[in-house]
This record gives sequence, C-alpha cells and structure tokens, in this order.
Amino acid sequence: MSDSAGNPKVKLPATIAMLVAGVFMILPFLWMISTSFQTPSEVFVRWLPSRLDWSNHVRIWTGSYSFVSYYLNSLKVSVIGTIGAVFMSSLAAYGFARIEFKGRDALFLVYLSMMMIPPQVIFVPKFILFNWMHIYNTHWALILPGMFSIFGVFMLRQFFMGVPKEITESAFIDGAGHFKIFSRLNLPLAKPALATFAIIDFSWQWNDYENALVFLTSPKLYTIPLGLQNFILENNVDYNGMMAAASAAILPMIAIFLIGQKYIIQGISSSAVKG
Amino acid sequence: MGYAFILPNMLGILLFFILPALFSFGLMFTDYQFSNPNVSFTGLDNFRRLFHDEQFYGAIRHTAIFLLSVPVSLVLAFATALVLNRSVYLKGLLRGMFFLPYVSSGVAVAFVWMLLFQPTNGPINEILRGIGVASPPGWFADPDTAMYAIDVVQIWFMLGYNMIIYLAALQEISPEQLEAARIDGARTRTITWRIVWPLVSPTTFLLLVTGLIMTMKSFALIQAITQGGPGSSTTILSLYVYKTAFSYYEMGYASTISWFLFAVIMAVTVVQWIGQKRWVHY
Repeated sequence: MSDSAGNPKVKLPATIAMLVAGVFMILPFLWMISTSFQTPSEVFVRWLPSRLDWSNHVRIWTGSYSFVSYYLNSLKVSVIGTIGAVFMSSLAAYGFARIEFKGRDALFLVYLSMMMIPPQVIFVPKFILFNWMHIYNTHWALILPGMFSIFGVFMLRQFFMGVPKEITESAFIDGAGHFKIFSRLNLPLAKPALATFAIIDFSWQWNDYENALVFLTSPKLYTIPLGLQNFILENNVDYNGMMAAASAAILPMIAIFLIGQKYIIQGISSSAVKG
Repeated sequence: MGYAFILPNMLGILLFFILPALFSFGLMFTDYQFSNPNVSFTGLDNFRRLFHDEQFYGAIRHTAIFLLSVPVSLVLAFATALVLNRSVYLKGLLRGMFFLPYVSSGVAVAFVWMLLFQPTNGPINEILRGIGVASPPGWFADPDTAMYAIDVVQIWFMLGYNMIIYLAALQEISPEQLEAARIDGARTRTITWRIVWPLVSPTTFLLLVTGLIMTMKSFALIQAITQGGPGSSTTILSLYVYKTAFSYYEMGYASTISWFLFAVIMAVTVVQWIGQKRWVHY
C-alpha cells in the first residue's frame, strides 16, 4: 500500500476525485450562501446571484423576527451552560478518577447507565418538574440541566486517569489536600481536554433544538434553532430570507470549527477509539 | 472526601436525569394527561393499547428505514477514510470539507435540504430532469420517498463524524503489517478487505452501535423538515413520543412508548457487550 500511496500517479487522481466529492459535501452550504444573496426571482433559476443583494440579510437582523435577540438568547444559554458544565464535570471527573471512596464504582455505573436513557423518556417528568420549579418557559430550563453533562464526566475522567500519579504524589507528601492538587496541578494539565469538552458542549447547546422546542414557548425567549424555525413557518415562501437566516445560524459554528478544529477532531477521535 | 467533589454534579444528575427517569417509569402505568388533574393507575392498559396502535407499528417501520442510514454512512466513511489516510494531497482541507456538515447547525441544514429537495423546481430535481428523468421523486412531499430523503440528509450529516473516527483507527495500524503482506504479494484490494477491514472492526462495531443508538434518540432533523409528515410517513419512534406527549398531551401513554424505545436501545447495548467478544477480530 505504501508504494502506490506515495506515488503521485495515484495521489493526484485520488486527490481530484476526493475534491469533487468534498465539493458535493459542501455544496448545500454554497447554495445556501448564494441563495441568501439572490432576489426572489433568481431562486431555483440561477446558481449564482446576478449581483449581491444584501436586503435578505438586513431583513433577518432588523425585521420583526430579529436574529439579534435569538443570538443573545443562544449566547446566554450556551455560555452559562458550558461554563457550568466544565466546572461541574471536571470536579466530578477528578473525584471519580483520583479519590477512592465507598460506592464510587457503583455510582459511576449509574452515571454510565443514564447515557442509555433516551431524552424522550425524561421529557414529560422534566416538563412537570420545571413547572413545579417555576422555570418552565425560562432560559433556566435549558441552562440548569445543561450544566450537568454525563459525557463530560466520562470524558474528563478518562483524562485525569491518564495523568501520572507521580506528579501529584509529591504534592501529597508536602501536605496539599485534594482541592489544592486538583486546582493547582490537575486542572492546568487538563487545559486541552477542558478546551475540547468546552467546544463540543458549546456546539451541542448552541444547536440544541429538542429541549428548546419542549421547554420554551415565548418567542422572545427563542434560541437560534427555534427562531429559525419560527421564521420559516411564518415566511415559508421567502426562500432568500430563509437562506440568509440559515447562514446566520450556521456561520458561527463553522467559525468555531475552523478555530478549534484541532481540539474537536482530537476529542472526537480519542473518545471513540479509547472508549 | 470524594463525595465533596462529586456531590454538586450528583445532585444535578439526580434532579435532572435519575429522578425524572424513575418518575417516567411510574407514569408508564397511568393515564396522565397534562390537562386532566385526575390521574389514575391503569395497570397494563397502555401496553395493550400499544400492541393495537397502528401508528406505533408505523413508527417502528419508519425508525427501521431511518436506521438504514447508519450502515450506509459507515461504508462511505470507511472508503473515504481509506483514501484520505494515505493517498491524497490537501488532506487537512479534504477532511474539513467532509466534516463540515457534522459541525454545522442541524436545524439550519434541515431547511437548506428542504429547499434543495423541493419537488417542483428545487435544484436536485432540476438536475434530475436535466439528465432525462421525466418525473423525478417528490422527496419530502411524497409519503413513499420522504423517509429515504431523510436518510440522504442523515448520511450526509454523519459521514464526516464516522470518517474522523475511522481515520484515527487507520492511523493505529502499523505500516510494517501492511508491508509484510505486500512483500508476500498481496494486492491492494486483498490487503484492504483481508487485513485493514478486520483490523478496524472494533471501530466499525462501536460506530455501528453508537450510531444506531444516536439515530434512534434524535428527531430534530425530521421535526424540522417534515414534522413527521406527510401523513405520519416520517414519524419515527422518538418523534412519536414527542408528539404523543406535547401535541396530544397524553403523557402517560407517551412514557410507555418512550420506555419501549429504551428497551430497544438496551437490547442494542446488550448485543454490543456480547458481540464485542464474539464478532470483533483484533
């Protein structure tokens, strides 16, 4: 394999074939951006706009369905939720990985088994619970549960277990407690793992549609996925506006991916291959 | 000491996962409806209803078609990863292109595909007419094709994720092993199917199982594109639970359906535990 693989006679055609396939993969995005700059008469007729029509984007950001408020709502929910999840998960992950106590392994098994429960099973009880807590139809209905991530505990536990014990043992001898060792030694080492988890968790919360659908009803509270759906239900022939709205929802995710590509890909590959 | 670290997290998991799950288990045996404060235990009534519910059987069929997307995307992902792993230039760029759908917003891409598949003059059918297909399919608008059109979107969405994990698995294979086979005169195709494919079988198995579970749990894509229609032709199990609970407000019955979904996921997981030992060739 290595002989033919390094050979430009194989590599060049393979690259071209893959580029063609790759363009097909991103064609929906290109079509979306192109359509968002077209006039209504050009949709479905031309592949490229005759000239850049910015009015669709202006309409999205200033009209009655302002994406400004959807963006602020999404930012609020995802940022607070992610910070909470990173904090809570890293604490618990360290506890599971590094401290021995009674019932630890049984408890961890309970955590893992919760991963099997489909979200649909707990929608109804959560609906009742949130009504009782008076957080139904508020952002807290997304933020509070978002702070508790089983995946985060699982992933960060794997990381902490991989930190050599010798690093922390000398600190123990010097009389440092677990909190000190955790915050001064383990957390700084875990920066890349924390970044990976933060990026993945943020993108989940940013894209979360199902929870928002169940727990938010007031349009002024809508996050981007719901705002987008709302726009499309009420403007279902405004194809240009739809595609401008879709671009507004997707572009931040693409930006985050381009910036955090290394962390995302490492995180996804390591969690699956080792897990 | 350990409890101090775990307690904050555990309280949240207890409140938002474990207690709701236990409560839902109890709801399964009631006729709880959101609007009706009188809840009574109905024993196994919900199960009897389930066995006679045509919509439920339909939802199982639609879920099965939806799950077809998992093996298809695995095969495509393996093929893509094989080529990207060794024999291309611009590897980083290509990897990014294939992975982009997975990181973009699911609901937003759903709406893009809705327009791409638009039957009367959407671009996909325009191209099909251009190459001589007289009456191209109605895609999301036709009950017979809607579920398969959803599969296309799902495959497109998952391909990059599976490919990334295959790439990681391929990089673990030692070049010496492949070199030895080559010296023995094996052809590329033989090496791929007799050596590489068995070596990545743990990955394939893991991706298959997690993919099946993930696909069964998610309904965002379908809810955004078709809301389960036309008719109920794209109402998969998870979406049926959502509709029963929050469109018809039959929350007791919805819990019953949701635990059936759990049972299927549980069964797949058990198969994974057993199968990992038996079918995976290291």
